[in-house]
Amino acid sequence: MSRSLLVLVTLSLYAQDPRQIVEESQRRGRSNSQRYEGVLEVIAADGKTSSKSWQSFRLGSYGNSKAVIRFTTPAEVKGVALLVLNHPDRASDQWMWTPAIGRDRRIALQDRSTRFFGTDFSFEDLEERDVDQYDFRLLGEDPIDGAPCWRIESRPRQTKTSQYTLSHLWIRKDNYVAAQYENFIKDQLVRRLHAADIQNVQGIWTARTLEMADLRRKSRTILRMQKLAYNVPLKDDEFTVQALRREQ
Amino acid sequence: MKLLLLLAAAACAAAQSFSQRGFLESTGVFYPQTAPNDSGLAVGESLFRYEAFYKLTDLRFAAGIDARFDTHQQTDRSLDPSWFDRTRRRQPLAVRTFNATYTHGKLTFEAGKQLIRWGKADILTPTDRFAPSDFLNVVESDFLPITAARLTYGTQSNTIDLVFEPRLTPSRIPLLNQRWGTPIPIAEAAPDFPGAPQYGARWNHIGAAAEFSFSFYNGFDHLPLFRLTPAFALQRFYPQLRMYGADAAIPLGPVTVKSEAAYFTSTNPQSDEYVLYVLQLERQAGEWSFVAGYAGQAVTDHRSTLGYSPIRGFTRSIVAHASYTIDTNRSISVDAVIHQNGQGEWVRAQYTQAFGQHWRATAGFAIIRGNAADFIGQYNRNSHALLTLRYSF
Repeated sequence: MSRSLLVLVTLSLYAQDPRQIVEESQRRGRSNSQRYEGVLEVIAADGKTSSKSWQSFRLGSYGNSKAVIRFTTPAEVKGVALLVLNHPDRASDQWMWTPAIGRDRRIALQDRSTRFFGTDFSFEDLEERDVDQYDFRLLGEDPIDGAPCWRIESRPRQTKTSQYTLSHLWIRKDNYVAAQYENFIKDQLVRRLHAADIQNVQGIWTARTLEMADLRRKSRTILRMQKLAYNVPLKDDEFTVQALRREQ
Repeated sequence: MKLLLLLAAAACAAAQSFSQRGFLESTGVFYPQTAPNDSGLAVGESLFRYEAFYKLTDLRFAAGIDARFDTHQQTDRSLDPSWFDRTRRRQPLAVRTFNATYTHGKLTFEAGKQLIRWGKADILTPTDRFAPSDFLNVVESDFLPITAARLTYGTQSNTIDLVFEPRLTPSRIPLLNQRWGTPIPIAEAAPDFPGAPQYGARWNHIGAAAEFSFSFYNGFDHLPLFRLTPAFALQRFYPQLRMYGADAAIPLGPVTVKSEAAYFTSTNPQSDEYVLYVLQLERQAGEWSFVAGYAGQAVTDHRSTLGYSPIRGFTRSIVAHASYTIDTNRSISVDAVIHQNGQGEWVRAQYTQAFGQHWRATAGFAIIRGNAADFIGQYNRNSHALLTLRYSF
């Protein structure tokens, strides 16, 4: 009885440390690799919709992963690709490949606030950052879609590396999935990412639908992940600038 | 039954390794003024491009064709397929790509007809020596593929690129009897193409703070000089050329600085020796994208009397590009090249809008002004409007 009580008290204290909550969330989401086909619906402020799709490949996990996103539709951007190399101690490196002109282009840090190919995701939103790059503060508890969540504030330690001054994230208590992000520039809420359709895929709780709302433009993009698989065989040399050209 | 399942599985696997893309594009170009050698005021052209890719573990194959037609005899009417793109006019059927790529660890070997792009600058790329262009319309150019073997070795941070091109693919220059060509009172003789190969090497470094590369090219210029034959005809020839080049991209706080420079020498007594360089700044902010810079040229040994080089002709200029994404389907862009002496300027504005998953329309205009003795200014009667409709698949 006393041992159970000790475990409960320890868990309670552990859960109150926002950094450890985020660490645990990232730990539970770890896999050697991930692959999915993304179907995107972009809904403009006037209600007009357009759709896009991409294939996403990721090798490694939070803080040190490499990812390639390659558009498959619409036809005119088929083959356009983005390479993201995440680093544990600094912002990611990103390159974009445009097959029509046969050139790759590095996406400079100051350009990451730009929307990614007409979606409501910015280039920065496509990177994964390690917990060590942020300071965290527990704001309280707040349910999302009826599920109890911890609400945590995160501030980038190197302020120049992010367009966002701070973010609020909601992490579900039951499965440690990040259920929502709100991103602020100064005091203004500019983007909200809402996670839904949370499923257990190969032992990893995963939000298969992400909705990013750009609150300044009043537009939103819904990303649905299809054919999602973890720990698929991917090679390290598929995540280089040379591979972007080769795999066109 | 097992065989059927096996065949079905194989077909499924093959389908996953095969991809294709292409488009059918029709453009109307409208000129408000006639030119001394061309009374036409409108040109219509259509291009169908199809590319297919097949991946087989470490091997990849790519094949593509261009089929085109126009109303202004810029395209040959003969249906003979073209491999080396050495014809004066565009070919109605041309091989765009046909190559195989083998990858093993850090090594990639690519052989066949392909596009090879070097350099980092956007508006003018002096080190881009394996990229001849179609300059029939001068300001609306398109890169031509070359037949080459390319070996790339390295990791993400350091790569070495070796290219061997056994036969020169020249740039296509304006037709003499049309508005972008210079009218001359004498006949044009058959061109003198070099028989020797060209080769080059490029080392590229990607660092956390900057990217840079050094390149070397030895071969022939894909842009011609002219000489008079004994029969008093004008003949194109492609002089020997050696290039030592470097380029860099450095993200610096508010902007990214890109610079590219190349020094060109030649053993040909008619060919200039010169330096081309570009310094540009770029920035994306919200829905805006800006590129602005200067393209310069310094002739170290002036020898040539008659040649045709849009690349050199666009130097000694302020160059700029700006674009704005209105929404997912619409954008506008403006490009400009303005000679520093004020003798020539080209400004192009375009509006483009997508319709659904496959269609895109582009409408725009280009204003060309200047002195007839200036490279850009000589086309001062070629300001035009254009309308393009593209179906992509």
